[in-house]
Amino acid sequence: MPLSYTDYYDVLGVPRDADQDAIRRAYRKLAREYHPDLNSDSDAEERFKALGEAYEVLSDAEKRERYDRLGARWREAEREAPEESFEDFFAHEGFGDGSRVEFSQDLFEALFGARRDRTAGPLRGRDREALLELSLEDALTGGRRRLTLDGREVSVNFPAGVRDGQLIRLTGQGGEGRDGGPPGDLFLRVALKPHPHFRRRGDHDLDVELAITPSEAALGTTVAVKTPTGTARIRVPAGSSSGRRLRLRGQGLPKRGGGSGDLHAIVKIVVPKALSDRERELYEQLAESSTLDPREV
Amino acid sequence: MNADGQTGPADGDLAAEETIELTVLARQAGVRIVHVRRYLEFGLVEPHPAAPAGSPRFDPRSAARVARAERLRRDLALNYAGAVLVCELLDRIGELEARL
Repeated sequence: MPLSYTDYYDVLGVPRDADQDAIRRAYRKLAREYHPDLNSDSDAEERFKALGEAYEVLSDAEKRERYDRLGARWREAEREAPEESFEDFFAHEGFGDGSRVEFSQDLFEALFGARRDRTAGPLRGRDREALLELSLEDALTGGRRRLTLDGREVSVNFPAGVRDGQLIRLTGQGGEGRDGGPPGDLFLRVALKPHPHFRRRGDHDLDVELAITPSEAALGTTVAVKTPTGTARIRVPAGSSSGRRLRLRGQGLPKRGGGSGDLHAIVKIVVPKALSDRERELYEQLAESSTLDPREV
Repeated sequence: MNADGQTGPADGDLAAEETIELTVLARQAGVRIVHVRRYLEFGLVEPHPAAPAGSPRFDPRSAARVARAERLRRDLALNYAGAVLVCELLDRIGELEARL
């Protein structure tokens, strides 16, 4: 008996599509009936243990899903399961060029479809993917979006620090299951829209241009710089050439585990298009007395 | 003599019958002392009347009672009052069956 295959649904006496409430009710009722302190039958203890095992699996959505799919082999599947979740896998791999993907239904089927053929009976619905376009400000604060996909309204909460290319899984919002099978999941791939001021550098850092005059660049200054949440003062050291990076720690995009990336202010020296007479005179004096040959550096 | 807690102090009534300390009761029942105190509040087990209030002692059979109540409480999602009630009902059923 202990080594033979026990159907957990039979043990609890519930149908295969029973919801969590029904499963809990069935377990509690049978637990009272077969508890070894309340039932002196010789097999009460054995049955009570079987109940506990069945309840442990069926009351846990993930274990139950594996059990539904793989039956007695569900524990093996547990060991074979990849280390990375789907979300991590795709967050790392991304989809390359950022082209729009509207409902690439065949993707998961192509990658993981084979497993569906192992068991007959209820079929889990398809996983689907759609694009979720967000602004940098959205990524900064997190928030909520309503999308209409195939005429169906879907509401999604996205966390602060969401990354470009990240997949957000909405469990059970994918294709409908067949023959009582559970629905698939909906994966929303985040696409961060370009921002007029900030450019993303990696997942959490941002670049922003810092325009300064030649004299500010030469003499040094302290100026205001735009940050995603407002402005900050930044000190430009004397002798800063174009392209110099000045880092503002923690002013980038928030990270999932806490903290934030950095904001890089990149110096850009801007010269006047037209000089006043006085300016021209001074520049000429400066040119005469300057020893710098930038082509030599 | 009293170091293992299994033997009562050598005075009066308690010397005659074996009793156990609270800590021993908890250990034998496999529960923490705070849980034993909860069962005491609900009267599942009672300290021996001859023991001083500061260091209560119990009938050795108390450990089995507490262990059973704790199993029921944990396995059937009962609260302390419910577990104690079930134990009392089980005792009554036992007595009635014994009379048949």
